[in-house]
Amino acid sequence: MKSGRARHTQIGLVQWAGPFAFMALVSTGLAAQDYIDVEAERRAAQAAPTTAPTGAVSYGVGGVSAATTTRSLPPPAAPASDNIGGLFNQVQQLQQEVMRLNGIVEQQAYELRTLKEQSLERYMDIDRRLAAGGGAASGATGSGSTAGAANGAGGAAVAPVIPPAGSQAAEQPGEGDAYRAAYALVRGQEFDQAVAAFTQFLQTYPDGRYAANAHYWLGELYLVIDPADPEASRQSFMLLLSQYPDNAKVPDALYKLGRVHFIKGNSQRSREYLERVMREYPDSSAARLAGDFIDQNL
Amino acid sequence: MARLALVLFVLLLPALAQAQLVIEITQGVDDPTPLAVVPFAWEGQGTAPEDLAQVVQEDFARSGQFDPIDRADMLGFPSREAELFYRDWRAIASEYVLIGRVRGEGPNLNVHYELYDVLRQARILEGDLSSSIGEARMLAHRVSDAVYEKLTGIPGAFATRLIYVSVTRNPAGKDYFRLTLADADGARPIVLLESREPIMSPSWSPDGSQVAYVSFETGRPAIFRQVLATGEREQLTNYRGLNSSPAWSPDGNTLAMVLSKDGSPDIYLMDMASRRLTRVTRHYAIDTEPSWMPDGGSFLFTSDRGGRPQIYRYDLRSGLTERVTFEGAYNARARVAQDGRNVVLVHQRNGEFQIAIHDLVTSRLQVLTNTELDESPSIAPNGSMVLYATKFGDRGILSAVSVDGGIKFRLPARSGDVREPAWSPYVKY
Repeated sequence: MKSGRARHTQIGLVQWAGPFAFMALVSTGLAAQDYIDVEAERRAAQAAPTTAPTGAVSYGVGGVSAATTTRSLPPPAAPASDNIGGLFNQVQQLQQEVMRLNGIVEQQAYELRTLKEQSLERYMDIDRRLAAGGGAASGATGSGSTAGAANGAGGAAVAPVIPPAGSQAAEQPGEGDAYRAAYALVRGQEFDQAVAAFTQFLQTYPDGRYAANAHYWLGELYLVIDPADPEASRQSFMLLLSQYPDNAKVPDALYKLGRVHFIKGNSQRSREYLERVMREYPDSSAARLAGDFIDQNL
Repeated sequence: MARLALVLFVLLLPALAQAQLVIEITQGVDDPTPLAVVPFAWEGQGTAPEDLAQVVQEDFARSGQFDPIDRADMLGFPSREAELFYRDWRAIASEYVLIGRVRGEGPNLNVHYELYDVLRQARILEGDLSSSIGEARMLAHRVSDAVYEKLTGIPGAFATRLIYVSVTRNPAGKDYFRLTLADADGARPIVLLESREPIMSPSWSPDGSQVAYVSFETGRPAIFRQVLATGEREQLTNYRGLNSSPAWSPDGNTLAMVLSKDGSPDIYLMDMASRRLTRVTRHYAIDTEPSWMPDGGSFLFTSDRGGRPQIYRYDLRSGLTERVTFEGAYNARARVAQDGRNVVLVHQRNGEFQIAIHDLVTSRLQVLTNTELDESPSIAPNGSMVLYATKFGDRGILSAVSVDGGIKFRLPARSGDVREPAWSPYVKY
């Protein structure tokens, strides 16, 4: 590969002497540009490797100065065979390919990092807004970060205006208003009326954009009405899980199911749900709450 | 090698007219602050060697943020507080008034300046500065710096200098290349080196006393350093292949450079005391154009290891390389501002090469210019303006743009092409 190496060096220099795409220095006849034109370089690389090396090489960085700054190098060793030339060609092609792939990996790693940051930001934003809503509703924090009373009232605090992430359904006419009206009842601690409003809402808009949220709220509300109805609550949360398995509320619903079963006296089922949310959504705040709940109660 | 015609000019030769830059402001802020720079009183024999107030006035006009009031509109030329009548300045809507007195003492000039706020009717700044008579213009720029900092909160960068390469075309034969040193306003150009072979990539030492550059005078690229005050110069490299892009580390002890002696172009560090070389990047792709971060712990460079030229950062402590720019298919020739946050670079957009600023903290990139062949950005030591080379008509000229893109001016040479500007660091007086 020694001769291949020698040729590589030379070709590299010839490439460097190539015109740079944007400076059009050729027109000025100057060699005062040290930007790299990778395009020209690649074209040269594609054209050059199979051609026989020439005796003179320009050390100039601009094309035109080549005539005045050329100097002779010792002629590089001729390829021992076409085979070496072919190998060299392949190595160059591989290098180009690796560089191209490297670029793609860098770009995708960057995009992934950016997306992660954005989704974390979005989550923090939602969490913040939840917390803000919760303070007014019941003095507890939002469902995502609730550590409220065992009856789950603390969860009754999710801001209504947040569209459920992952829901594909489009909002239907009047749906948003109906949902907000029902939520206002939650905020006003009119829990019995809120149950009626959300039930009515689900009858009117069974496939609506906020249907998953409505199920979630019913699950929460059945725990805080007097008397509480843990079985109805369980059914609401189960409906959410079965119908909207990708909904952003799923981790919270799993956590709540754990609590519902605890209230119903089934510690084993309770533990199953709590461990499931910790396993499947380890980064969610619901998982953290589930861990706390297990530590304290189970 | 006898063919090279190299003439070394001694400093302080009379300015050569062909390299003189003329400033034309093309875009300023919408509502520049009116400011009156009253001619300074001369307290010496004969006439003043230099109209310092005129220099200050031009500095503020060039900043784009101020609207200096024409002397003809001034109702008086006070040089002391007792002579200053605020109503005169309110009448011509001046918000600030700068007055001063200049005294000659042997070979030295002393200037006393006072800045008044017309609305508050109060003196807000005063000071004394001195220099030799030969540095009178620099003395005025230092007054500008102090006043500018008082009014904007940002240190001025008027008392700084530029190095650039000017090229005089010679249709009959080889062109003339001149490495030129001038004040930041383009005045007092001094040719540091003249050659019939290309001169490239001038780079300031951090104390402003030396420059490193690439000269082809030996028939191939070699890196030289030159002491500005004495003209003493030294060839630092003579390697086979590429010797380019010298960049002085912030402590001045190390010179980063690009060499291709071991194959593809890579970045090397030369210890200036021992002249020992260390290879820091090692890649079959092209690694070039190093630019140090202000802390000296890492540097940015351009590499096409990802298939297209992008900016990468090499950390000297960890030896890790990370990619910095992701927007667009071409980002090259980065220069870092003193804040270590803003990076100016050449960015390709819609096939045009423009100067952009990349924020290392937010990773946001903002294009600053709207011309199409912009290159070689260099940032002022106060981080406020970016100087770059571009094409105007068929000529290479220097242009400047503020880092927010709001202020633009051109510094075309009276003749010939100008390129590769390098804005000096702050120089101590």
